[in-house]
Amino acid sequence: MKLSRRTTAAAALAGAAAISLVATGCSSNSGGGDGETIELTITTFGTFGYEDLYTEYEEANPNIDIVANNIDTGGNARTDLFTKLGAGSGVSDIVAIEEGWLGAIMEVSDQFVDLTEHGIEERAGDWVDWKYEQATDPEGRVIGYGTDIGPEGLCYNGAAFEAAGLPTDRDEVAELFGGEDATWERYFELGQQYTDATGKAWYDHSGFVWNAMVNQLEEGYYTSDGELNVDGNAELRERFDQLAEATTNGQSAAQTAWDWNGGKSFVDGTFATFVCPGWMLGVVQGQLEAGGGGPDTGWDFADVFPGGAANWGGAFLSIPTSSEHPEEAAALADWLTQPEQQVKQSAAAGNFPSTLEAQEELAANPTPNEVFNDAPTGQILASRAEGVVAQYKGPDDSIIQENVFGPALQALDRGEADGDTAWQEALDLLVELEVE
Amino acid sequence: MTSTLDRPDLAVPAPKRPATRERLTWRQRLGRFDVKASPYAYISPFFVLFGLTGLFPLVYTLVVSVHEWELLQGQGEFVGLENFANVLQDRFFWNSIFNTLSIFLLSTVPQIAMALVIAAVLDQALKARTFWRMSVLLPYVVTPVAVALIFSSMFNEADGLANNLVGLLGIEPIQWKHDTLASHIAIATMVNWRWTGYNALILLAAMQAVPRDLHESAAIDGAGTARRFFSITIPSIRPTLIFVIITATIGGLQIFAEPKLFDVSSAGGIGGYDRQFQTTVLYLWEMAFFRQNFGEAAAIAWLLFLLIVGIGLINFFISKRIATAEGRVIKKRTAKRLATKEVGK
Amino acid sequence: MTGITDARAFPLRPAKRKGGDAGNAGIGSKPGFLSYGILLAVLLGSAYPLWWSFVVGSGTNATRAETFPLIPGGNFFANASQVLGAIPFWQALGNSLIVSSIITVSVVTFSTLAGYAFAKLRFRGRDGLMIFVIATMAIPTQLGIIPLFIVMRELGWTGELGAVIVPTLVTAFGVFFMRQYLVDVIPDELIEAARVDGANQIRTFINVAIPAARPAMAILALFTFMMAWTDYLWPLIVLDPTNPTLQTALGQLQSGYYVDYSIVLAGAILSTIPLLILFIVAGRQLISGIMQGAVKG
Repeated sequence: MKLSRRTTAAAALAGAAAISLVATGCSSNSGGGDGETIELTITTFGTFGYEDLYTEYEEANPNIDIVANNIDTGGNARTDLFTKLGAGSGVSDIVAIEEGWLGAIMEVSDQFVDLTEHGIEERAGDWVDWKYEQATDPEGRVIGYGTDIGPEGLCYNGAAFEAAGLPTDRDEVAELFGGEDATWERYFELGQQYTDATGKAWYDHSGFVWNAMVNQLEEGYYTSDGELNVDGNAELRERFDQLAEATTNGQSAAQTAWDWNGGKSFVDGTFATFVCPGWMLGVVQGQLEAGGGGPDTGWDFADVFPGGAANWGGAFLSIPTSSEHPEEAAALADWLTQPEQQVKQSAAAGNFPSTLEAQEELAANPTPNEVFNDAPTGQILASRAEGVVAQYKGPDDSIIQENVFGPALQALDRGEADGDTAWQEALDLLVELEVE
Repeated sequence: MTSTLDRPDLAVPAPKRPATRERLTWRQRLGRFDVKASPYAYISPFFVLFGLTGLFPLVYTLVVSVHEWELLQGQGEFVGLENFANVLQDRFFWNSIFNTLSIFLLSTVPQIAMALVIAAVLDQALKARTFWRMSVLLPYVVTPVAVALIFSSMFNEADGLANNLVGLLGIEPIQWKHDTLASHIAIATMVNWRWTGYNALILLAAMQAVPRDLHESAAIDGAGTARRFFSITIPSIRPTLIFVIITATIGGLQIFAEPKLFDVSSAGGIGGYDRQFQTTVLYLWEMAFFRQNFGEAAAIAWLLFLLIVGIGLINFFISKRIATAEGRVIKKRTAKRLATKEVGK
Repeated sequence: MTGITDARAFPLRPAKRKGGDAGNAGIGSKPGFLSYGILLAVLLGSAYPLWWSFVVGSGTNATRAETFPLIPGGNFFANASQVLGAIPFWQALGNSLIVSSIITVSVVTFSTLAGYAFAKLRFRGRDGLMIFVIATMAIPTQLGIIPLFIVMRELGWTGELGAVIVPTLVTAFGVFFMRQYLVDVIPDELIEAARVDGANQIRTFINVAIPAARPAMAILALFTFMMAWTDYLWPLIVLDPTNPTLQTALGQLQSGYYVDYSIVLAGAILSTIPLLILFIVAGRQLISGIMQGAVKG
């Protein structure tokens, strides 16, 4: 028996463990040692552009220590938040909620602090009215400070347009798509021309286009009084068929959302247009960086959107009742959503503010966005926000978007289903996932 | 595994009672109490903790599975076997079973085959023996999460290493994350990479326990390397081989980290946009924490348990039959060889 | 908690070991070109994915697209520091060490106690209880995650390390493993002699059983530690990103909005370094542990 060697290994393990116990023991002490410092945790998702604001707030409030956590996508943030709500702990002091799953949150709105206790009513006039209304539950409790909204414009790749003989100037592009009267019909028609001429795809994948098409309807997957309305919804079906035809004809690049091949598909001209809610501009920027591309890749942003004004997404900052520092958390969330900060956030992440003052500021002071060929993205978004109406979001809205129509449209993208079978697949999934 | 229980038991004989029933001294009584109570004292921490952390959850899972039970709302109505019925009619459940079995087969079969070859190669008078053994075991120190990160990057469809290498052979890029079979192969590759060397070492240990006489006499008989490998080595290590297969089965049926992290961006990390590589454990996770249906998730847990027990039993009976049949053959062969060659012990 | 009862951790199988480890020769006593060729291929297969991760992790996102990159870039520390900024790496490392160490100590201690009793002491109900222990080894740990989650919520332990540690304080496998080892390794005469010397049960355990059990305890410790260290599912459910284990923190790394693979892979390498060092230092023991575990039983 080679006893000594094995015991050496065991001793090594024990030693390492002991060191770690000591090490972590020390660090946890230093964390909670100063009684006056309050640690506030905040969980956001996607591209929020808050990093500099955290630093600024910490400098102004030395007793506050912000611990930030960011989750990749709104969908994953939803799972994360619900798991923690279910666990009864672990929810950050401030948590970002996406408009798409606000409906699900509203079902458990009593787990969030009523912000009227922290004076949000006085600020009601700050936001576009529908944003404030969205955050109000049936009992009149307000559970979220609005951060941004998601008015949609059209991102397009100027270089790709030029190669296909399309105009590249953003005003001309807006005109090309029909300006104020832009329709999806026109969008797909141009797409077919482009695809036929170049052999390349027009849009990245059907899912996002579909989101845009649904989100701009007065009523989406639910009626305004909360009834699920997908099966037999002629308006939805008509749009779905429109999209299915275009995709079947090769207009979709069948990309994986949130991956886009590590951003490379944004750089190498895989697709020429992209539906861009304000917050998506930051995503595109990140994808370009990840894919090794810069402003020279030719992306631009036009003041036009097929089918008229549309809103996709936007978020709220909420405070769970489990927070130990609701007062301080409310103060921070309040500060982060002030017009002044929203302008800074917009500059950092490209998203579009939900307060009127910040919107006016962006509209009045066009700032060139160098990632998008110096387009005044803030100003364009302000223009795109005109006429946006809030759509009622049901409890399972985001599930329908991601897990019902998501797979169906992927099958369509990959040529594994035609329009009819994809629609049927979506209806089947709707039943199987027990969507309410 | 239970066969080991049948071994001759060498337990301490019970202390003899004093011949006469005299009054015992305090010390004697303490000693008797010590002898009687100590075993229970030794096993009780285990059983108490195991009861709390192992058995109680088992029973509680059953309770949850017969109720309507939501993540946030908690316990609802008693629904009997409805959750089980729903799960059994759920195509995603069967899809996850198919994926699990497919990934399991794709990982187990090549893994064991490769492990056997590597073990046979290591079972020689090698130079730098420890170095080679360590090189085989190296992937074992990389955790499944890290393995998943590394390989999901390698299997990136557009320009990952795998497709770049495939491209050198003039083959079109493979849809590792979209295609069902390709994604199963990719995930099986992760499992194989991490476990092949480990299993090779276990098989090596078994091979080294094979009596050298067998090889020597066979070699004198003129049997070649390959022939000796199949007719001597494999039969002799069969019990270990079966053990490795069983453990690979249990591990393989519980794969989670690899499919969870293989493609996080689509559909909330539930194993591909179309669940093309969603394993049953991952489906259990989805049901519980994504769809928040604890009742059905608990039913999935029980069905998975039954599946594992079922496959375990099949494995057990097959292995028992093979092991005993093989044992007889080996004994006979050994006896024959030893007799003919007159090799003393 | 998951994975700890993964049978792979304890590949015990009774096998009759004949002859020493050294100088033996199996199918072909003189390894030739082919043998070394196979080993070289295996070495490359084992090591290249790790080396590739290091190369990409020390390069840029573009490195990943290269066909067969071999030369590391100069960005490893830059990427590593980005990893440290993205996840609480040191805290996670500390957490993993705490969790794995406590689980290891507990499993080894209680398994040795119970294994010794099952192997060497006679008491009413022993065989029945042992069969029970064996039967429970087949229970997949995933079976318990839902009730355990509910219980942890009730206790308010979610987010705490205790929620990860407690469910795995004992394993049926550990008891089985120790019992199988001790049943042969301690001669009954030794226990009898201790008794004659007037040693009580606990002293016999300490003076006779523990020294004899030490090799098996080391093996059990090694594998319990590995299993606790690699566990992902349960910590993912019960912990949150502000207080993760190394595995759950690492999993988060990939969920950046734009996945920079050079950073993800730098993180994968960074997280592997502690075990890699242990492997280089104690690899010989790990190998003999696995092989001992395979033979001993």
